[in-house]
Amino acid sequence: MADEIKTFKVTIDNITIDVAPGTTILNAARQIGGDVTPPAMCYYSKLEGSGGKCRTCLVEVAAGSIADPRPMPKLMASCRTTVMDGMVVKNITSEKVIDARNGVVEFLLINHPLDCPICDQAGECHLQDLGYDHGKAGTRYEFKRRTFEKEDIGPYIQLHMTRCILCYRCTYVADQITDKRVHGILDRGDHAEISTYISKAIDNDFSGNMIDVCPVGALTDKTFRFKNRVWFTKPVDAHRACENPKCCGKATLWLRGDEVFRVTARKDEWGEVQSYDARPDDPVGRGKTGWICNTCRFDKKKTSDWTIEGLTAISRHSVIGANKYAGLEMPNDTIKKVLNGRDPKLLMNIHNVSGVNNPNIHLSEIDRPSHKEDFAKSGEFVKGEGESTQWGLPKE
Amino acid sequence: MSRKLLLEKAHVENIRLYDVYRREGGYRSVEKAFKMAPADIVEEVKKSGLRGRGGAGFPTGLKWSFIAKPEGVPRHLVVNADESEPGTFKDRYLMEFIPHILIEGMIVSSFALGSNVSYIYIRGEYHWIVDILEQAIAEAKHHGFLGKNILGSGFDCEIYVHRGAGAYICGEETALIESLEGKRGNPRIKPPFPAVKGAWERPTVVNNVETIAAVVPIINDGGEEYAKIGVGKSTGTKLMSACGNLNKPGVYEIDMTISVEEFIFSDEYCGGIPNGRKLKACIPGGSSVPILPANLLLTTAKGEKRLMNYESLSDGGFATGSMMGSGGFIVLDDNQCVVKHTYTLARFYRHESCGQCSPCREGTGWMEKILLNIENGKGKLSDIDLLWDIQRKIEGNTICPLGDAAAWPVAAAIRHFRDEFEWHVKNPVECLTSNYGLAHYADPIHIPVVA
Repeated sequence: MADEIKTFKVTIDNITIDVAPGTTILNAARQIGGDVTPPAMCYYSKLEGSGGKCRTCLVEVAAGSIADPRPMPKLMASCRTTVMDGMVVKNITSEKVIDARNGVVEFLLINHPLDCPICDQAGECHLQDLGYDHGKAGTRYEFKRRTFEKEDIGPYIQLHMTRCILCYRCTYVADQITDKRVHGILDRGDHAEISTYISKAIDNDFSGNMIDVCPVGALTDKTFRFKNRVWFTKPVDAHRACENPKCCGKATLWLRGDEVFRVTARKDEWGEVQSYDARPDDPVGRGKTGWICNTCRFDKKKTSDWTIEGLTAISRHSVIGANKYAGLEMPNDTIKKVLNGRDPKLLMNIHNVSGVNNPNIHLSEIDRPSHKEDFAKSGEFVKGEGESTQWGLPKE
Repeated sequence: MSRKLLLEKAHVENIRLYDVYRREGGYRSVEKAFKMAPADIVEEVKKSGLRGRGGAGFPTGLKWSFIAKPEGVPRHLVVNADESEPGTFKDRYLMEFIPHILIEGMIVSSFALGSNVSYIYIRGEYHWIVDILEQAIAEAKHHGFLGKNILGSGFDCEIYVHRGAGAYICGEETALIESLEGKRGNPRIKPPFPAVKGAWERPTVVNNVETIAAVVPIINDGGEEYAKIGVGKSTGTKLMSACGNLNKPGVYEIDMTISVEEFIFSDEYCGGIPNGRKLKACIPGGSSVPILPANLLLTTAKGEKRLMNYESLSDGGFATGSMMGSGGFIVLDDNQCVVKHTYTLARFYRHESCGQCSPCREGTGWMEKILLNIENGKGKLSDIDLLWDIQRKIEGNTICPLGDAAAWPVAAAIRHFRDEFEWHVKNPVECLTSNYGLAHYADPIHIPVVA
């Protein structure tokens, strides 16, 4: 039969699946989903030529194919290795892979500033997720971390190179989505950096998409910087009829109340921009991937600009989903329960008048060692019968 | 005196010029090759057992037979003259003194591979050699060995010299191809291999300068004759660039049957260690290959004499052996510090990492910093284990072999010279002014007897 489609059988972590020839191991694993899928920091299915660089998706190929069942000697980058019929792949079932992945995460983090508390990407950062899933709690790196000056590239995007993991995704955006190549990699090795030619502004209708593809907080939206944390905002799917023929006009609005804080392209479960069918008026077919134009992203910040479709589906384990779902059961407050209704005063309780020491005495100003009278709740209890009630215990 | 094939005429006056080279029997192989079928030339190279001289030692004839031959797509031969490995300077000598042997080898190889446009990718620092090569190409073209319809055979061939911009990584064949295309010299992910999709997505063969030059004697004398020189799978002659603590450093052509001891101490070759010092350690094949202490260098772990060839140098694997590599023979006497030496290499690899994949980009810098601490007496004993763990996580996990090349020297130094590292940590003041010396590194090794 001529139209019978030939498929390859591939086994990943003991789960067998049929995939089309030419599929990479990573995409085959994504079809299975769950833990079997290797993490990917640099590979982006919508950007041609991406992948192979970060080495987080390394897997062990235990058998090459039916024709040649020998194992591959080295760990392979699953995003760039295509499957063969009868291939057997070990991801989380291989100790070698776990060990190598721990190493890669450590390498990625040694020069990362770990400034998540002040980073706009926190909560939707792939490096953060990777660190939680595959990293170690401590670091063995004892040297000064690499830093760069912050750089404004164009009116909308800020580059914070210190956070960059050099995945090259944004350079592929510059190559493939924008009209002309606007930026690339300067220098090499651990002093390599993403930049434009002599800080030239990036001025292109689709440049904003490089913010969406950045897996870390290196490229951030200047219209959103420090405005809010992503988990406080509520994502909703919305669309508008965009005048730009290459723009798909479908986006995610990040709301707080009625205020639109941020507009991004819609992402799929792998953190990549979703795909749609091409718009009939788009001859190039670029609309297939849901890239959005800078007008939609940066200028349309009113709910009246958009037709809202509904809540965006957020994965249960994402921090963005926190507090946004009904039926949430709050944990018991254990301290209240065990103290049986008593009301302890903790050092952390800050009041105008101190609850722990004599309010008439400034502990920082006394010119002698402090003693128990200084800690009496008030002057009245000093001397004799007035035992301290500082812990709120009833006097017996 | 062993037989010389490449450097035989190197000292003839003005051998750099076409007339002298031709008078001394040059370009005979082109005349002979054009009477053969291209497939026969490949067969002849296969028979010769010639192995790539750039470091990996892959059989050249086999590499040539892999080249894809799609209809209507041009093929290319690219000569890798980006000789940037610390300790290796053999190609420089060859190109500087007898450039015509490279041009001659290239014409024959281009004919065998069907490459009408061939390239020499030369490192930018060899700027004066570019002039020498271009003069040689112009002379060859003037005498009808290049250009259209060479010697009436109907075969056209042009050779262009392309200067690199000073990056070690461009010696890696796919990075070299990227650079040749005018892009940033980042290694590509294999597969596809260059033999299928190389320069401008066309089938491409990348060979070392010395490999291509060796094609000339193979065609002149026949592959079988060439295979008689040497032992086992190490056939023919090899250029060694010897440097370090030697009386006579320089480029030597050896026929891979001599022992390492003979190469270092005989007057025909390096002439021993100067100032009455003793041999402490040696890197036999360029900075990327594992360093060996004197006792393991001169004899293998089995107690046999170690010979200067591919098999013997790698005898014992990485546990007790090393590699032939690109033939950069670096000798360290007992006044040298292995820690400082390892630090220097780590600094080199940190500087030359392309930064594309994370283990190499971050790991090389980390290793350099730790080694600098140990060298300056600020190290901890745990740093040695940490170094071992870092190199282990770089090796094999990168796109190109630079990661391995950065990991191996550190691994081998710790494997064989761990006590010197520990001495550095435990004597933080003393290590700044003196060094560990020879210690036990030249003691005879215990050879287990099979009961």
